Amino acid sequence: MSSAVAVTDSSFEQDVISSDIPVLVDFWAPWCGPCRVVATVVDEIASQYEGKVKVVKLNTDENPGIATQYGIRSIPTLMLFKGGQKVDSVVGAVPKTTIANTIEKHLAE
Amino acid sequence: MSTAPESLGNSKSSDKSFEAMRKFAETYAKRTGTYFCADPSITTVVIEGLAKHKDDLGAPLCPCRYYEDKEAEVKNTYWNCPCVPMRERKECHCMLFLTSDNPFVGDKQELEVVEVSYEQA
Repeated sequence: MSSAVAVTDSSFEQDVISSDIPVLVDFWAPWCGPCRVVATVVDEIASQYEGKVKVVKLNTDENPGIATQYGIRSIPTLMLFKGGQKVDSVVGAVPKTTIANTIEKHLAE
Repeated sequence: MSTAPESLGNSKSSDKSFEAMRKFAETYAKRTGTYFCADPSITTVVIEGLAKHKDDLGAPLCPCRYYEDKEAEVKNTYWNCPCVPMRERKECHCMLFLTSDNPFVGDKQELEVVEVSYEQA
């Protein structure tokens, strides 16, 4: 699984909503195949955007509050937060370029 | 059926359910002309997830969705494997059954079981 920092229902406010820089959240589950594919890509994204974007992961089995609040359905879902607001999301085992393009779009704004 | 949090957590399925789901997956891939992922660990993880749901909930609910109420979803049947999108359009977002145009597709319809572990948050 991704080496990204794990966030929980209780730490989400502090780690994601209150973050000074944009946050990419990887919503995953333990026995989800494509989650393991995307985790590798998410680690690369974390290195690439170090200092510009914070990358975290949330286990939906253990943190149903946040998963429900943000209407997670298909997993993996990657969600980008900026200034405490959800600004974008991508679903499934997408290529790295798709995630990078999504981040670039919002960093530029 | 009980769904105490610990039963949904960090353990693997029974061997019996894993074998049943593996046999189902192999048969269903052949029947639909679909193939497993080129990386057998992905296929193994998904079959493990289906088997775990079969043990915990009585049905192989898709492990690549988040459900507010897993028991209600099982009764609803839509995401019980093979799910409606798979049966209707060969769409498996969980990457168990892949069509030959999928970038992750392999050439096998039988599982080479590899060791996979439960991933901690």
